[in-house]
Amino acid sequence: MAIITISRGTLSGGRATAECLSDLLEYPCVGREILQAAAKKLGASEELLAKKMEDPPSLWARLTKERKNYLLAVQTTLAEYCETGSLVYHGLAGQFLLRDLPGVLSVRLIAPFDTRVRSLMGSHHGMTQKAAEEFIHNVDEDRKRWVRLMYGADVGDLTLYDLTVNLESISQETACKIIAEAAVQPQYEVTAEVKAKLEAFAAACRTQLRSLGDD
Amino acid sequence: MAIISICRGTKSGGQALAECLAEKLQYPIVAREVVQEASADIGVSEKDLSRGFERRPTMWNRHASDRRLYIAAVQAALAEHVVAGDLVYHGRAGQVLLRGLPGVLKVRLIAPMGDRVRKVMESREMDAATAEQYIRHVDGIRARWVKMMYGQDIEDPVLYNMVINLKTMTVPSACAVVRRAAEQPDFAITPEVKAKLVDFRLACRVKVALAAARDTRSLDLQVEADGGVIEVFGSVPALTSGQMGEQIVAAARSVPGVDEVRLKVEWFDPYP
Repeated sequence: MAIITISRGTLSGGRATAECLSDLLEYPCVGREILQAAAKKLGASEELLAKKMEDPPSLWARLTKERKNYLLAVQTTLAEYCETGSLVYHGLAGQFLLRDLPGVLSVRLIAPFDTRVRSLMGSHHGMTQKAAEEFIHNVDEDRKRWVRLMYGADVGDLTLYDLTVNLESISQETACKIIAEAAVQPQYEVTAEVKAKLEAFAAACRTQLRSLGDD
Repeated sequence: MAIISICRGTKSGGQALAECLAEKLQYPIVAREVVQEASADIGVSEKDLSRGFERRPTMWNRHASDRRLYIAAVQAALAEHVVAGDLVYHGRAGQVLLRGLPGVLKVRLIAPMGDRVRKVMESREMDAATAEQYIRHVDGIRARWVKMMYGQDIEDPVLYNMVINLKTMTVPSACAVVRRAAEQPDFAITPEVKAKLVDFRLACRVKVALAAARDTRSLDLQVEADGGVIEVFGSVPALTSGQMGEQIVAAARSVPGVDEVRLKVEWFDPYP
């Protein structure tokens, strides 16, 4: 058992790889849905939370208490998913939300820009190539700035990840098998000791979230 | 069967990973040997050849012909190993010397600077600051070389199929992961791939012949092979003697296995 986080640019095949891993390893798989559970914790609507989380970085520049609460709610929800000791997470910022936790394999997926553009044009009929390129470029830039602002890091810095897989010349299935092999290595095994640490992390997140609520 | 090319900074665990893979997969392992073989092939000392490789870019233009020959010879030496279809290569610039070839799994290994510094301190009896300086110096030479030769950033992940960080992952685990990747059909040496590897070897041999021949050594030529048919590309001065084409064809045809040479060069006027 292990926790796998998958970071990637938009339309880089993150969801498909996550689902493949989930099937192969029989781990639960979670992505954006996490926002729903996080919203519930705050008594807010999912739409509002999603909007707040994905606001352009310019609006995050003032890291208000409200935004901190949203982020902590997302982290707490993710930490609770991790308590079972097996998970594939392909949502926002997994490599940061679970940073330095044992039992976590942090993966970055990269895909050629052209492939991503074609994929977007394929799923949105009538979208021009230029519009698709602009969309992907803008989403990438927003994420980059968001990560820079929140964590002072470069999302493309490969030292943040245990494994980076380039989907340019390998298939999704192969990427899935490679990541699965990494996940079953002893360094990422969720032993009883690691599990206790994951539970303690979730408990600490919950306590912090409650105390923010009490302010 | 697959060809595994490992690129890494100095003291990043590349040798240990290569040895583990070679043992588990029963593949031959090659690194610096290609430089030795290349130097024997072209009759240049290993020291001169290594220096030619690592020469600072500013010095290179003055020695462009030598450099071309050295690189062609190293690539050709590597091609002789690659053609067998299974190999672990952890020597210089595998990701660019084997660029575009099918059946090659290109792996980049990264490791935290602290770990690398400790290794250099032990092996070279240096203090921490000198060890780090040494690592940055060696990494810098390699990075500049790739940038200069191919205009690419050695750390750019698009050059590789995968990048493994040895911060948390151990070498045996990295070995298991790379091995799993090498077993996938994406890297299988099928009969078609094998034929391309044979073509690659012939093209490399022809490149060495062109870079070594007195009449053609000054030319920057690219070579492709398809069976015994060779195509030669590049910009060639249209000299009044009008013999340059024949000289290229003759140099290429001197290589056993070449049946036909097609000139696809662009002629230019050297005295406009």
